[in-house]
Parts: sequence; structure tokens; C-alpha cells
Amino acid sequence: MKIIKTNHIVIAMALGVAVTTFSSCKKEFLDLEPYTSLPAASAITTEADMQVALRGTYAGMRGVDIFGRSGPVLGDLLGDNVYQSVQNSNRYTLYNRFEQPVTDGNADGMWAQSYSVILRANNIIASAPTGTPAIDQYRGEAHAIRALMYFNLVRFFAKPYTDDPGALGVPLVTSYDINSKPGRNTVGEVYTQILSDLSEAYNKMTLSPGSLQFSKYAAKALEAKVHLTMGNMAAARTAALDVINNSGYSVVTAANYIAYWRNPAPLAGTNKTETLFEVTMDAVGNLAFDALGYIYNQQGYGDMLLADDLYALFTDTDVRKGLYSAGTRGGLPAVFVNKYTNIQTDRDDTKVLRMSEVYLIAAEASLSTNETEARDFLNFIATRRDPSFTGYTSTGAALLEDILTERRKELATEGDRFHDLNRLKRPIVRSANFPANARNIPYPFDKRLLPIPQRETDANPNIKSQQNPGY
Amino acid sequence: MRKLLCALLCVLVVMSNAFAQSRTLTGRITDATGAPVANASILVKGTSIGTTTNDNGSFSLNVPETAKVLVFSAVGYESIEQRIGSSNVFNISFTSLDQKLQEVVVVAYGTQKKPEITGAINTIKGDEVANRPFTSVDRALQGAIPGLQSVQGSGNPGSIQQIRIRGIGSINASAAPLWVIDGNPINTGDLSRLTTSSNALNSLNPNDIESISVLKDASAASIYGSRAANGVILITTKKGKAGKTKFNVDLEAGTSDIAYQNEKYKPLNASQYFDLTREGLINFGIAPANVDGVMTANFGFGNGVDFNWLDNVTRRADQQQVNLSASGGNDRTSFFVSGGYFRQQGLTVQSDFKRYTGNATITNKATEKLKFTLNTSAAYINQNAPLNGGAFGNPILSSYFLLPSRAARKEDGSLNITAPDFGPGALHNTIATAELDKRNLNQFSLRSNLMAEYQILKNLKFTSRGGIDYNILEEDQYNNPFHGDGFNVNGRAFSRYTRYSNLSITNYLDYKQNLNKDEDFYLDFKLGYEAQKSKGYFTNVQSQGFPPTSDLIVASVGATPIAAQQDASDYAFNSVFSVMNVNYKDRYVISASGRRDGSSRFGPNNRFGNFWSLGFSWNVDQEAFMKNVDFISQLKLRASYGVNGNAGIGNYDWRPTYGFGVNYNQLPGSAPNNPGNLDLTWELNKPLNIGLDFGVFNNRISGSVDYYVRKTSNLLLNEPTSLTTGFGGVTKNIGAMENKGVEVTLNAIPVQSRNFNWNVNFNFATNKNRITALVNDADIVTGVFIRRVGYDFQTFYVRQYAGVDPANGDPLWYVDDTKGETTNNWNTALRTADYGSATPKMFGAFTNTFNFKGISLEAQFYYNFGNYVRDTWGGFYMGSGNGGAFNKVVRQLDRWQQPGDVTDVPRYVFNGNRLAQNFSTFYLAKGDFIRLRNIQLGYTIPKSVTDRLKMNSIFFYARGTNLWTWVKDENMPFDPEAGVSSETNLEVFIPKTVTVGLNIGF
Repeated sequence: MKIIKTNHIVIAMALGVAVTTFSSCKKEFLDLEPYTSLPAASAITTEADMQVALRGTYAGMRGVDIFGRSGPVLGDLLGDNVYQSVQNSNRYTLYNRFEQPVTDGNADGMWAQSYSVILRANNIIASAPTGTPAIDQYRGEAHAIRALMYFNLVRFFAKPYTDDPGALGVPLVTSYDINSKPGRNTVGEVYTQILSDLSEAYNKMTLSPGSLQFSKYAAKALEAKVHLTMGNMAAARTAALDVINNSGYSVVTAANYIAYWRNPAPLAGTNKTETLFEVTMDAVGNLAFDALGYIYNQQGYGDMLLADDLYALFTDTDVRKGLYSAGTRGGLPAVFVNKYTNIQTDRDDTKVLRMSEVYLIAAEASLSTNETEARDFLNFIATRRDPSFTGYTSTGAALLEDILTERRKELATEGDRFHDLNRLKRPIVRSANFPANARNIPYPFDKRLLPIPQRETDANPNIKSQQNPGY
Repeated sequence: MRKLLCALLCVLVVMSNAFAQSRTLTGRITDATGAPVANASILVKGTSIGTTTNDNGSFSLNVPETAKVLVFSAVGYESIEQRIGSSNVFNISFTSLDQKLQEVVVVAYGTQKKPEITGAINTIKGDEVANRPFTSVDRALQGAIPGLQSVQGSGNPGSIQQIRIRGIGSINASAAPLWVIDGNPINTGDLSRLTTSSNALNSLNPNDIESISVLKDASAASIYGSRAANGVILITTKKGKAGKTKFNVDLEAGTSDIAYQNEKYKPLNASQYFDLTREGLINFGIAPANVDGVMTANFGFGNGVDFNWLDNVTRRADQQQVNLSASGGNDRTSFFVSGGYFRQQGLTVQSDFKRYTGNATITNKATEKLKFTLNTSAAYINQNAPLNGGAFGNPILSSYFLLPSRAARKEDGSLNITAPDFGPGALHNTIATAELDKRNLNQFSLRSNLMAEYQILKNLKFTSRGGIDYNILEEDQYNNPFHGDGFNVNGRAFSRYTRYSNLSITNYLDYKQNLNKDEDFYLDFKLGYEAQKSKGYFTNVQSQGFPPTSDLIVASVGATPIAAQQDASDYAFNSVFSVMNVNYKDRYVISASGRRDGSSRFGPNNRFGNFWSLGFSWNVDQEAFMKNVDFISQLKLRASYGVNGNAGIGNYDWRPTYGFGVNYNQLPGSAPNNPGNLDLTWELNKPLNIGLDFGVFNNRISGSVDYYVRKTSNLLLNEPTSLTTGFGGVTKNIGAMENKGVEVTLNAIPVQSRNFNWNVNFNFATNKNRITALVNDADIVTGVFIRRVGYDFQTFYVRQYAGVDPANGDPLWYVDDTKGETTNNWNTALRTADYGSATPKMFGAFTNTFNFKGISLEAQFYYNFGNYVRDTWGGFYMGSGNGGAFNKVVRQLDRWQQPGDVTDVPRYVFNGNRLAQNFSTFYLAKGDFIRLRNIQLGYTIPKSVTDRLKMNSIFFYARGTNLWTWVKDENMPFDPEAGVSSETNLEVFIPKTVTVGLNIGF
């Protein structure tokens, strides 16, 4: 077949190609970069990058199911401190009854958000920069954050160390591999990692960035709490005393106690009053309706109320009683929690480690070796909260009960009580405010452990057979 | 509006009569058999002076003395040119073109004669989507095309319509088709960021559409390469026609109401609620003596209020549309201009839609070889949409959750927005928020397309096209400081500005080579280049702390700035393509296409891909041996196979990145935000299509049957990762799935006579979806669905409800698939993948059209069978007491009350009975339904009357949309149309609409 007028066709083709090349055919045409992200591989290459990534790591701890809300709420609701009002927004309803299902969204959120923070910390720890005090500080803070995340996870998802260090803990992930599908390490292994991270953190940190970040003695205070939780009283005492004697931090006074809780802002590194570490929420970076305060405050959801038996423990002269008020809700008498009042603009920060607790740790950890000292540490706090109180005089088992009661009163609605009852392997005896069939929770009891999220067991065959019993 | 229209009409009529007259030509046009040809066009060449023939084929035309040549033309006939001599009478005999052979279909990059088509293409004409009570054209496609599933999720006017062609071909990437308007690939979907749901196609006025082609298989669609996998929908807009300027005015008004409601799913009134709650509180453990006290304190028991929220947040809604167009020109230049106004109210407060459109197309033949076409259309849309789902501000949620003892207004008529009924943290009074708050979308869209066609040689044409598709969305939300979402922050406002500017250019050569002397054996070859870049630009402003008024609503008024963000997101495609057709005497046609695509959405390792197709058609009816088989008027076999792709993922998904904006204490922070995958590339879709087109008895019965198998591999799959990695999933090219099915279209004309015609159209499509490979073939559980090899993509993974224990009223679930043992512990009940899917097994439509003289009656039934619909929020209003402080529905009254009761609704316990509220088959309803989608009664005024009025046509109609719905499952809570994933979400109800309309042409 002969093609006619070949020349014309060639010219036409050339024209077409010319117009074609006119429009961009360059490589850049297809190489479009995102506007708010940088390549992961080069994201942390300088000291300044580390600082920015570290802030992102702290920001992760604002997650609603970590320190944003669920962590502290469950720490009291699953204990005997706080119950859900009959008039409620239907949050944590099933926890109120110890009936949380395997599909529970808060457990899923806690797991996912915690490991997301752990990834952020892992990347900072593994990043290249070295050699300046700031770099050491940032890396140290990342170690402390990682320790705190594992400490939370292992307490919520695994049996207490005091029960069985060989029991299934949570998977230990210390480096990034998108394809890893780890099974659960033992509780003991998790605590070993936590203590190792805290040791790194303590040794590396030299700066005082303020209460919104970890510092050397915040890491030591956490170490004291970890040892207490493990039942290592001697080590807990040593760590607590290091903080009390060397940190320069003081306990907030009775006169300043209410004002201390009203303040929504973090404290500068120079202000060493009470707060060793808190996760800060500000006017922009906050959880709005999902904030911790919103579920306590009667101007918000106000679902969570203080148990009557706990309220009854406060004397009228106890400054802490000012953080609660009696009223009615849902047609029933109720005690409102006014610890978190900042539910507009700058929201309340979530306190994680306070100096008062360090004293109470020191008290409990000293009990077996030096009862007098234990009592002194206890009274140091108790008399500063109730100026009319002359101090405990109890001994032995009664003194332990007094310490635990003081912990309950001092740390109420800060998410501590449930973990205390677990490490002590005690039954949870809840007041008549709670649903009738969930007032006596024995130890052990399946639902005292949260479910490994179904999303995790669905995606990770190695953990599928390691679900906690009862789910 | 009406006055304005009348004035306009008068002006137009006067104008059309104002031409000078000097000579009158008359005549009659007939076809080869001597029958008159009506509606044939007579035009003075080089002018716009012309007319059309009447029913008798006669015409009369006044022409100036200068007129030289008349052009006679009509659809289906060869045009004739005749010099105007001394005679004033023209009797013309037309030669009929073989209509089957000559009818052209819009295909990718051009048109084709029907016998040349080797693929699966369905076309519908513009008048099938014009003047419908729908905000976007995609809604009108429901039932119109076999194998095209068009599903509404919400009845909110302007909300998104989901389109799936031949099933769902992807797990995580987009399953929506590519839309191309006049050659311009456009951005579709929901482009809004604050509005509950919007639809980019709202900016296209369906009345501006000339035709729609749906490309379903490889042969038809693969030329669109990496975006063809989910099918391609080509829209051709109206162009001007040479001749006297013709005007069309379309007017329509109507009213709508809720299409489907189930009495069992209506909220309880006050006495029903309190009786139920009294029982529930006692079952919960409250002492009977205290129950009334608790109800009085908490729920307003005894306050004498019985307020029906559902009735008060819903309303009868009305709508109007007006469309004007003018078309005309001469043989050198023609134009089409149109303007449209469309207004529709939704069935709830805060829900409405308005659209203004303008459209102009001008075509000029600069020389015999060069032709330009410029089309520009603009639309302005104003849409208000209430919240949906679980939002406290959702009016539908409030109508099911708010207690009847809470009234919207106090006795003095003021809004009830304070404690005890609407205190802080409580559900919102949505009647108050509808009045005081604002949720608004303003959209401005512009599409412009410039095309030049240059006929280099008789058989070689160069086409160049450049287009822009531009969308601006301004979204504002204001929440008042007194009540609702803004209460806690003393009022707040959000503003979102979104802009998508999408530019594309196409250049191609079209070359035709005859391969024999008769010129009926030839080769058609196209070679082209296409580039596209779409840029998205987004700003986001938020403030709070407003003065105590609801009159000041913009973000600047807020005392505290909360967000001031700007972001952008772009994508680009770059392609070369080629198509070749070889046609032997219209008997045998072989087609081939190829495209090489590059995309910014994929990593450098796999950025470019090659796509192709091969097709074959055999027009058996053109064979010599068929000439004597009279009863077969058409018989054609088609087959095609090929490869195309799907690039419907996020613009930057392949990149491993650290995202910024993860700030702490208002200082900059960063965090890993995407695991990325450098090897990421498109999904591969390999469609096989075998089709048969037939017509018998002079096409009194005709139809098509298509069988297809669509195999998708390299799925763009979000593989769930262990959460311990810090990520929930990573996008990979893993997995495969298959869609196969049969599509049948049947047309019959049982009665065809001079005065009465009856047309029947039936279409039917089945689709069987099956996942064929996954990562290590391991199950992926996503929400309530499981992706499992061998199963449908939308298989529910669900615990099976086993009814109620007659002894104690506990809910029971089956322990395993044998359905033997039951348990009252939801946690230990087994989830099964063998219950059902959200995907229908078959769907289609059945249409009857009757014409009697000027009267026409059309009725279309749409049907959908074989899926299950999930009642997403049923756990609250049917959850056996879960959320005791919220209202319940009538079906809850069927609860178990005493030992021995046999019912499927468990004992009612305040705040819940043994996780009865959790997802199980109790919350799945059979999705089978039949709906009278369209019924229209119309009357065309006889031509004798319109001629006297100097009009071309006048048509009146009354139309009903969704007037009747049959649902198989008596426990179907809401409309059975609940999105592609068949999940209800407390959306604005889908309407049934009655409209009346008038179309005038002059």
C-alpha cells in the first residue's frame, strides 16, 4: 500500500510533535512535592530538627486515649474513685460496668496512640545528631517518654509485675519496621526496658525545659513510681529520695493548692513547684469537647462524679475538699469534680508526675525498712493539705492503709487508683454509686485488663493467640 | 422571576419577527418512499435564515433577494444543496442514510459509527437527564445504564452520588469513574471540607448536556490508561445548530416529601417513652418507689410536654427550575447559549440548594480546513447542609434521640436552650441551632474548553484542545454562643477556602487510510499527547469567643484565633496515546489502543505504565448471506480485552514523610505521618468483554447482552499494619479481585401505530465480586466488613443474632456457624463472613413508555436485590435500653417483658442489656427494594396550534420521582438506598417529588 502525499503527513506529524513538546514534558512536571511534609529520611538531621520532632512526640501524648482523657479517667473509673452519672453522654459506660468489649474504641485508641508516640520517640533516639547538651537532653527526654508509654501500656494491658513478671506484657518496639508483627514480651521484659530507658534519660538530661517536658528528676520520679509498682521498695525509696533531696522541687502549699489547680499553663524550668511533668494543653492544641476537664466539669459533659465514700474521707479543713462540691445530677445526690475548670481557651494540663506523689512513694517504699521515716513522709503531705491535721500516728499494716488512703485522696481523678489496687492485687470495692453488679471486683478478674485491640489481633498473627482472657 | 420571564419572552418573540422579507419560497420534502419528512431544516447558505418542515413535510420561507443557495438537511438523510433560481417552489426527495450504520456515538477522542464499536459503550441522550428534580446529572443515571450503579447516601440536595460501573474494582483506591466533559478530564467527587456532603458535578447543568457515553470495557476505556479501571463517563455539551435562532424555555416547580418511612422506626411519644423507661429503670435496679422521681429529675417526666421532634425538624420541601437556551448560527458560525436556575429545599431544616448556571458555546469554521470551538460554562452554587451521623447538631439524630418531653420552644415562644432540657453537655436543640447557627457552602465553578481542528489533508486531521476546570468553594460555619457546639467557647466560626484549578491539554492526529478502491475498507489511526495538572489550594480559619449576639457570624469577630492554616495539594498526569481501527466493509472491525501514562502519584521506581486494548466486532447483519434473512434487522458480536489502571489514591501516598503542624505549646512540632512506599504504582485492571447486539422484526425487539470479567490485580491496598509500628496501615500494590457479570438490555415496541406507541425498556445487571488475593491471603477486617479471599468485597463480618432467651429476655448470639449453641455474651459469639454483603447481587430498571397522539406516559421502576443494609445507629434507639436518656423507636416496644414472651427484641434495661446494642445481624436488614423512580405524564400541544402561536413546540408534563417504594424487609429502618456501603447514617431523608413543568420552543 502506497501512502500518498507522504511529505504532507511528515510535516503534519512534525507539527503535532512540536506542539506536544511545547507543553511541559519535563521530569519536574510529574515530581510534585507535598506542602506540609518533609521526606522522613531527612526529617531529623540537626539539633533543631530533633527539638521539633520532640515537640511532636509530646503532642502525641495529648492523644484522647492517652493523657488527653482516657488514661486518667480509666485510672479512676476502673477503680473506686469516680463513677458515671446516670445522666451522661454515653462515654465509658461499659467501663463503669466492667463490661468493655474487645472492640472497645478507647482501648484501641490507647494502644494505637501510645505506639505512635513510641515511634516518634524511637526515631529521635535513633537519629544521627550527637555531641551537645541539648542533643543529649532531647534524646534523654525521648527515652523518658518511651518509658512512660510502656509503663502505661503494661499497667493497662498486662498483669501486674507483682503478680507474675513472666506473664504476657506488651510488644517491645524500639526501632521502626513497618512490616514487623511482634508478639507480646513478658511483663518482666517490658519493665527491664522501662528501667533501662529511665536510666538513659536520667544520665543524658541536664537542662530544665519546664514542667511540660521531661527533666532529669522527672525521669527519676517516674523511676521511683515504676519501682513502687514492681514492688521493689528499696529501689523506689532510693529513687524517690534522690528526687526529694536533689531535685530542688518543692511541694505546693495548702494556701496555693487551689490556685495551683486553677492554672492551665505549664511552669517554667525555673519554677520548681510541685509539677515534675505534665502534658500541656493550650488554647490551640487541645481536645475541645474531648478534653479531660470536659467530662468532669458540670459546664461540660460532667459525666464523671466523685464516689461518695471518697468524698467522705476529706475533712472540712482539708484544702483538697475545695476541689469538689456536692449537688444533684440526674435526680440523685452527686459530688462534682472541680479539679479541671479550664474548659475554654487554654485547657487544663494533665498532671503526670507531682512532687506530692514522690513523698507518698517515699513513704510507702520506706515502710518495710524505716517506719518512722515512712510516717514522716506521709505526714509531710497530709499536714500540708489539712493544716488542722496533726498527723498520722499509725504503725504497721494500719500505716500502709493510711498511706494508700492518702494516695487515694491526693491523686484522686488523676488516674492512679486503679493501678494501685492492681499492683496490690486487691479487690475493687466500689460504693453504691456504681452499678449493682459491678461493685465488687475481685482480684484477679479478667476485665481488670484491657483487651488487646481487635484491630491489632486482626493485623498481627503473632499476637492473635495472646489476647487477654475474657475477650 | 415570573414577571422577568414574561418580559423576556415578549422581547424574544418580537425580535424573531423583525427580519426583513422580500421573497417567499415554498415546497415539500419527502423520503425515497414519498412519505413526508417532518422537522427537516431549510437554511439559506451563509446566513441564519431558515425554517423547518411541518408534519406534512411542507415549508414556507421568506428569503432576501440576495439569497443564493438553500441547504436542506434532516437527521438520518443526506444533506442537499440547491441554487435558488427563478422558481419559488422546491420539492426535494431525500436519500435516507442507513441509520444504524450512520448513527455516531461519542467515544474517547472522537466519534465512531455504531458498527465500528468493538467495546461496551452505553449512551443516553441529554433529554433523558434534563428537567429532572436532581441537583446533579449522576443522580439521573440511576437505572439508565445496565451495570452502572448510582446510589444516593443522603437526601440532602447537592450531596454526593456514588457511581460504580461493573462493581467495585478496588479496595482502598477510588472506585469512582473518570468524568470527561468535552474532552476535558475533570475533578469530581466531594471537594468540600466543612459541608457534610457536596458534589463537584453540581456545577454541571444537566440541561446543557447533549449526550452521555459510558465506557465500560477495555476497548472503550483503556485509552484513558491509568484512570480507566472504574469506567469513564464522557459528557458532550450542546452545540449550536445552523439556522434561525431557536429558543427553549423550560419551567418546572414541585414539592417533595419523605420517600420511605417505617412506622416501626418512628420515635416514641412521651407516654410510650416513659412507660418503657419506667420498666427499664426497674430492670436496671432502681427501686420502683424512686423511679418516677428519677424520671422527673432527669427526663422531664410529668412536665406535660409531648413534642414530636421528627415532625418538627422535617418539612415538606419545594423546588423550582428555569432553563433558557438559544441556539443558531449560519454555516460558518454557530452558537449555543443557556442560563439556568435551580432551587431545591431539603426535607429538614438547614438543608437547601441553589444553582445559577451560564453556558456558551461558539463554533467557527475559519476556513474549509480550520474549525474552532470555544465552550465556557460557569456555575454559582449556594448549599446549606445540616450535620449528619452522630453529631449532636444533626437534626435527624435529634429527632430520634431527643426526648419528647423536651420542647423546642418555651411556652412564651422563645427557644428552649437552657437547663434542665438543654443544659451544657446535653444533646442540642437543633431547631434552635438551625435558627442561630450557619453552615453554608458557596461554590463557583468555571469550565472552559478551547478546541481547534485542522484538516491538514482530506484524510489527516490535527486536533488540539486545551481546557480548564476550576472550582472555588467557600465554606462558612458559625456556632452561636448561646447553645450548641459554640456554647462552650462563647461562639465560634470556621471559614474554609478551597480552590481546585485543573488544566489539561490534548493534541492528536487523526489519519484515515483507505485500503481499497471502494473506500469501504480502511484504517483509522490516532496518535496523541495529553497532559494534566490539578492544583488544590486550601485555607482554614477558625476563631472563637464571640459577642453575645447571633448577628455577627464571621471569623474576624471572634476574640481568639484558633486556626490560621494554608495548605495545597497537586497531581499531574502526562501521557501519549494511540488508537487504531481497521474496518472491512462495516462487517469486520478490529480496534487497538495503547497509552503510556506517567503520574506524580507514584514513586520514581514505578512512575510510568503502559495500557492497551484489543477489540473485535463482527456485524453479522452486513454479511451477504444475511441479506435474505428479513426478520433479523441487526446482529453483531463484539469482543474486547485489555489492560487499564486505577490511580485513585492520595496525591502523596507513596512518599514516606514527616508531617508538620503537630505542635506543642504552640511551638512547631513534627511527627511521622505517612509510611510511604517507593514502589507504589497503579492497580491493573484487565477487563474481558463479550457482547451481542441484536434487533429483530425491523428492530421492534432489540437489545444487547454483555458478559464481562474484570480482573484487578496489584490492588492499591491499605494493608493494616500492626499498630505497634506506629501506623495503622500502609498502601501497597497487593491483592487481586474479580468482578464478573452479565448485562442485558431489551427494547421492545409491542404497539406501533400512527396514533399509539408503546415502548418497553428493560435492563438488568448482575455483578459478582470476589477477592482473589490479599497480603498472605490473610483477612483484613475494616470496621464492620471483612476482606477475605473468595468473598465479596463488602462482606459483613458480624456476630449472628439468635433472638431472645424466652426465660429471661437476654439477647442471644450464636457461638459458631452451625447456629447450634447460643450465648448471652456478645464478646464470645463468633463473627461470621457467611451472612451477607452490602453489595447488591442485581439491579436494573424496567421502563414503559406510552404515546397516544400528543400524550405521553413514562414509568420507570428501579430495582435492587441481594444486599444487606446496616442500621449504624440502631444500637441507640433499638439497643434494648442503651443510651437510656435518649428516645427510642416504636419497634423497641416489642421487647421481652415476662418469662415465656417470644419476641426478637430483648428485655429493656435502662442503659443497656448485655451488649444488645453492639453490632450483630440484628442491625442488618435485607436491602431488596423496588422503586417507582420516575413517572411522567406529558402532553405536546399539536403543531397546528403551536404554528398559529408561532412556536415550535409546547410540552406540559407532571412528573413523580420515587413516588412508591417497596421494601422487602419489614425492619428496614430508613430508606433502603444508603450509599454504596449500605450503611444508614441519620442522613437527611431521600425525597419523593412531584413536579410539573412546561417546555416551550420557539
